[in-house]
Amino acid sequence: MRQTEVLIIGGGPSGLCAAIEAAGAGAQVTLMERYGSLGGQLPKQTHRFFGSKSQFASLRGFEISHKLREQVESYHGIDVLINTTALGLYADHVITADCNGVYQKFKPEAIILATGASEKYLSFANNDLPGIYGAGAVQTLMNIHGVKPGHRAIMVGAGNIGLIVSYQLIQAGMDVAMVVEAAPRIGGYLVHASKLRRLGVPIRTRSTVIAAHGNDRVEGATIADLDDQWEIIPNTEKFIPCDLICVSVGLSSLTQLAWQSGCEMKYTAALGGFVPLRDELMMTTREGLFVAGDVAGIEEASSAMIEGKIAGLSAARYAGYEHPHFRQLIREANDQLANLRAGPEGLRIRTGIREVMVSVNTRASDDSANETLQPQMVDDYARTGIAGPSEIDRIWPSGSILKEGPKAIIECLREIPCDPCFYACPSGAILSFEDINDIPRIDHHICSGCGLCVTQCPGLAIRIVDMLASDIEAYVTVPYEQLPRPEVDQEVEVLGRDGSRVGLGKIVKVKSAEYQNKTMLVTFAVARNIVRDAVSFRLINSKESNFTDDNTIICRCSDVTRGDIRRLIQEGYRTLDEIKRLSRAGMGPCQGQTCGLLIMKEISEMTGMPMESIAQGTARPLIRSMKLGDIADGSERKCK
Amino acid sequence: MRGIIIREGNVVLKDGRGIPMRIKDHPILLFNLEPVIKFTFNGECLYGVMGDTVASALHAAGVWTLSHSPEKNRPRGLFCAIGNCSSCMMEVDGVSNVRVCVEPLREGMVVKTQIGKGDPYEAN
Repeated sequence: MRQTEVLIIGGGPSGLCAAIEAAGAGAQVTLMERYGSLGGQLPKQTHRFFGSKSQFASLRGFEISHKLREQVESYHGIDVLINTTALGLYADHVITADCNGVYQKFKPEAIILATGASEKYLSFANNDLPGIYGAGAVQTLMNIHGVKPGHRAIMVGAGNIGLIVSYQLIQAGMDVAMVVEAAPRIGGYLVHASKLRRLGVPIRTRSTVIAAHGNDRVEGATIADLDDQWEIIPNTEKFIPCDLICVSVGLSSLTQLAWQSGCEMKYTAALGGFVPLRDELMMTTREGLFVAGDVAGIEEASSAMIEGKIAGLSAARYAGYEHPHFRQLIREANDQLANLRAGPEGLRIRTGIREVMVSVNTRASDDSANETLQPQMVDDYARTGIAGPSEIDRIWPSGSILKEGPKAIIECLREIPCDPCFYACPSGAILSFEDINDIPRIDHHICSGCGLCVTQCPGLAIRIVDMLASDIEAYVTVPYEQLPRPEVDQEVEVLGRDGSRVGLGKIVKVKSAEYQNKTMLVTFAVARNIVRDAVSFRLINSKESNFTDDNTIICRCSDVTRGDIRRLIQEGYRTLDEIKRLSRAGMGPCQGQTCGLLIMKEISEMTGMPMESIAQGTARPLIRSMKLGDIADGSERKCK
Repeated sequence: MRGIIIREGNVVLKDGRGIPMRIKDHPILLFNLEPVIKFTFNGECLYGVMGDTVASALHAAGVWTLSHSPEKNRPRGLFCAIGNCSSCMMEVDGVSNVRVCVEPLREGMVVKTQIGKGDPYEAN
């Protein structure tokens, strides 16, 4: 049995921040990470992060991961165990783990679950063919190992992850044939969608994949449009040749250990599924058990890091190490969280958090308590990712201003929690934000067109327009993160917001990416009359659906089909445990991580029972497979 | 769109540039293209690079079917890439049910397609 004061399970953004805070308060910390290196999903992220400049915004994910790892390594009080998977959490607060092939027991004073999330799966015909991946797998292959996952992709899901990974696929040299999204609007930030549209990638809302085709691997997919009842509209089926189908339809919290602990859980659709109830200090209903990050509800990494801080401080205090400024730090962190969640994009999170918060003190000023989750507005921009003329009118400077010299045009048209442009502006032209969700406002008289904001904007939504650059042409300077690298004097097709050609132009300046954190600044010359629509260039020469049949695989590990599951439900079985025992679905190596939610959905669909009333499977250790031999002789051996 | 498997004797690899699905140039990231690591897949000689997992090396070489499902014998490829699902279990150096998506590639590894649920007795 190994003693420790604070045990943190999971070395992603929230776990790392928790470790830093808990150790900073003086506690002895053990940090467990399943894989061989720390950082969770951060090392796979090549895009600049949104959020507050004070919390790493505009740095790329792998850079944030690097900074956090350095901080963790600088503390002697943090014992990092990599290749260590927690397997069970027992009533006496004992945690068992597979520690590099050695079975170990831990007895901590306080536990922080920072286990993150797993990807949701989607059922459609032939959904188990090689060439169909979760978005995380695609990122691992191309951004960690430098391997192209295929040649031509269809992305299923237009949330932030789907949009970002589509962009990354193009950066890695692949084609993205299309992004399909079953919902009526694009779920992710529209600046991400606009980035893709400029590159000519269609985004089709109210549309989904209904079948994959191929023998040994994907050779194409059938997509179809959906009506308002999420039913297929007949005769809209279309075959798209592709060798990669990337499924990005959301995440669900990895809560097995929370279930085992017996803490109170609640099904909260807004947070991605079942999550533990917790208080403002991130403690669950079980004394001494804390949560942080995606396990506490699906959200952005920026929030996960702050939750990690809170959980780290609270767990250290529980273990007897109260930080001298504990109250102040917690208040600041909770304010930062409230700020990140304040805008319209945060409404879903706010309503979700209210459902799972066992509040210590509800703040009187919290006027969000009366909000309800309304379906978000579906305007043309939200449906297509292409800003229309009236949207551009609002931000386009007058002719007299454009005659003053180069000016920044900020096409950031919807509220998202992000503020690096304000901090980038050296002249004070970008006005200060009252709320991090504000749409940036710029005083064009002050703007000198220096371009510093262009390189800092995570949404690549800012460009510089210089109407007086030459006698006949205007110059447009855009951020560029694609290959091949353009060269001065190269002819280009100038592209509009939908990626279609609006005219011809020529590269006049390329500012090396080395000084702008890998974002090139490329200036091209273009006729003045099309400058408004000249947003990009191309070098010349150079709701989840369930469309499925009875043969669709629901449980990959044991090859259990939808037909098998539906027959059992018809026979009267209504719980995951019954179905598991009879069909073996969920007994395989993944222990129901892939099929659990899909089976619940089948039960819910066939019986009309709401998801939250369906009995969960019993959560028992071990949550992952381990060799019997390692358990038999492991406890006594010391692991590294 | 099937990939090409590089056979021994066919190509001598100094770095990873000759491997079909490897990203050679990227606007943001720099990847290892050497040193090259040699291993075998069902008796054929393949190359990966330092930092690969068995699965990423196979994928880069054009091997996308890693296993077959236990009951219906359906082809399965890489799926989660983080050791959660059961899609990529193979026999590695005589040990069955190795999740190759999280198994680091080492020089001289012997990787084989696994039959059914694999051999419960380890060869070594």
